[in-house]
Amino acid sequence: MYIYDKFDHAITQERVNEFSQQVARRLVGELSEEQFRPLRLMNGLYLQLHAYMLRVAIPYGTLSSKQMHKLADIAKKYDRDYGHFTTRQNIQYNWIKLEQVPEILAELASVEMHANQTSGNCIRNVTADQFAGVAGDEVEDPRIISEVIRQWSTFHPEFSFLPRKFKIAVTGAVKDRAAIQYHDIGIQIVKNDAGEIGYAVYVGGGMGRTPVVAPLINPFVRREDLLSYLETCLRVYNLHGRRDNIYKARIKILVRDLGPDEYRRQVDEMWPMTKAAGVDVPAGEVARIEAFFAPPAYEKVSEPVAAYADAKAKNPAFARWIQTNLHPHKVPGYGAVTISLKPIGGIPGDASSAQMHAIADLADKYSLGELRVTHVQNLVLPNVKQADLFAVYQELVKIGFADANIGLASDIIACPGLDYCALANARSIPVAQDLSKRFGSLDRQHEIGPLQIKISGCINACGHHHAGHIGILGVDKAGQELYQITLGGAGDEKASIGQLMGPGFTGEDIGGAVEKVVNTYLGLRQSPTETFIEAYRRVGPAPFKESLYGRR
Amino acid sequence: MAVVDRQGPIADKWTHVADDAPMAAGQSVIVSFARLKNEHNSLFSAAGAVGVEIGGDANLDELEPFLPRLGVVVIRMNTMRDGRLFSLGRLLRDRHKYTADMRAAGDLIPDQVLFLLRCGFTSFEVKDNFPIDSLKRSVAAYTNWYQRAGDRAARVAELRQGSTS
Repeated sequence: MYIYDKFDHAITQERVNEFSQQVARRLVGELSEEQFRPLRLMNGLYLQLHAYMLRVAIPYGTLSSKQMHKLADIAKKYDRDYGHFTTRQNIQYNWIKLEQVPEILAELASVEMHANQTSGNCIRNVTADQFAGVAGDEVEDPRIISEVIRQWSTFHPEFSFLPRKFKIAVTGAVKDRAAIQYHDIGIQIVKNDAGEIGYAVYVGGGMGRTPVVAPLINPFVRREDLLSYLETCLRVYNLHGRRDNIYKARIKILVRDLGPDEYRRQVDEMWPMTKAAGVDVPAGEVARIEAFFAPPAYEKVSEPVAAYADAKAKNPAFARWIQTNLHPHKVPGYGAVTISLKPIGGIPGDASSAQMHAIADLADKYSLGELRVTHVQNLVLPNVKQADLFAVYQELVKIGFADANIGLASDIIACPGLDYCALANARSIPVAQDLSKRFGSLDRQHEIGPLQIKISGCINACGHHHAGHIGILGVDKAGQELYQITLGGAGDEKASIGQLMGPGFTGEDIGGAVEKVVNTYLGLRQSPTETFIEAYRRVGPAPFKESLYGRR
Repeated sequence: MAVVDRQGPIADKWTHVADDAPMAAGQSVIVSFARLKNEHNSLFSAAGAVGVEIGGDANLDELEPFLPRLGVVVIRMNTMRDGRLFSLGRLLRDRHKYTADMRAAGDLIPDQVLFLLRCGFTSFEVKDNFPIDSLKRSVAAYTNWYQRAGDRAARVAELRQGSTS
């Protein structure tokens, strides 16, 4: 893991001091709410329906057990004893008092954490593959360049008042687990024919009311050029992105309106000037950061591990959990465990302070002290020995996070929706809970196979419904909450935007409608190995529309 | 209206002159870009010093030929949220090699002055009640920065080379 030096500590502490002053100036009225707003947003503080919400950054989704303990302590001391892990690998606290925020930021700084740029029209927390460093299909650990980007983008003087928010995601693997093409900038680490590492840069993806899969703007940017390239991409956007309409202000609209070729031309034209300004990262600094992500001291394990095979044979529930919740590790004898924060009927992504403490203890005992957050709102123990998997499973059973549902129907993404969010048109959480219960039977979920259901309570699409195999969008129709269904979306390396099936369903009927969609799939799949998304791509929307609305 | 730099209020010799207003000989005037283009010959010979005020849509390539003779370029934004200011400043300095006083104007707050300084701005046109204490505190809020910017201050990455943490 990256460890702060005196410079990182100083900058983080100076931020706490600065924001304390800003809060004080707001409280005495020197700053109006309008003036204060961008400042508080850049410190992760939203004004929600009922209270302030504080969003804490978990850069590229990596955190230590010590940091997780601190997040738990904050939940207990300053919130209602729980936190909510988000699709951007952050954690949100929903019941925060403004006066206490400087104190919370100081507590975070003590464990090398912050809430910098988790909101506002600036470069947001950079996200990455949750299996960074442990996945076998990786060209390079994406956390190295993610940390370079975190530092470069922190308090960037030119890009803190952009037309709109700006999100960067990085994958080091061919299999995209970070949904990079749905980001303002998506970076894929690649190797060229000469074996050199570089970056394929996609620009202008996004969700919201205009979903766009980002086009490839530059197939290979060298490491020593990446920051000047990113800076130029941002500068063209900052100068020419629309500021007259909040719904057309994201870079995806600029790239779409200019066309990828013209956008690329403008970037290429300006790039030499940025390069000459000396913004690129020195090689020595990359090497320094890279050293923090060197592989930890793994034990030499010879496979097969008898105790592990034995536990699977004797415990069918454990064997099933392994099937869905274990990701292969590049080191023999190890695995990466996804902890499901999707208990049947629960709120996706929520964890109590007791659960967070327990998970931090598991990380210390079984995962070399390290944890990850996934953009699907789950947690990961990245370094578990096969011999320990059964013990980990049993501990997770005790805290209610042992559901064998990763990647299945009840592994649902949902935004906070109208229960918390000032922007929402409809509630998301009750729909997620209803669906989770409907598909609660593990037998049924495993029979259905891989299925991603994603729910947003408004068109801003925080619940990623456009990228859901089954997407659900809450809308407001004359004061009534209705839910529209989209099918065929995907957020991986074969990114696609879900297609709208038709008119929305009421909160009462949406669960039944999703069941119809699933049953239609089960009826038409060619074999149990043809997944929902494969079948949908083969047959198209017609049979699903018919099952939902009848023949028309 | 007041003019400040990073340390606080400064004496200001410049007068904004409307497009149709006459000006006294020897005066230091800030005119619109349109007037500069139309009257640059008479302006540069009659005025004591010439500055220009531009907005977010200004074409800097068109402005470039005048830059060596300008004493101030004022970039005005209508709202504090319009961040084009920051990139325009970088372009004027880095691409168009403008070296004299570069002034930000509009509904600025002290916390933005820090970032504007880092983008190459040198003075700021603000409201009379601009909180000077907050300005002074804000510009001193950080000792070092992660990224190189228009002020060319050394970055943490460079400072680390000669440092043991």
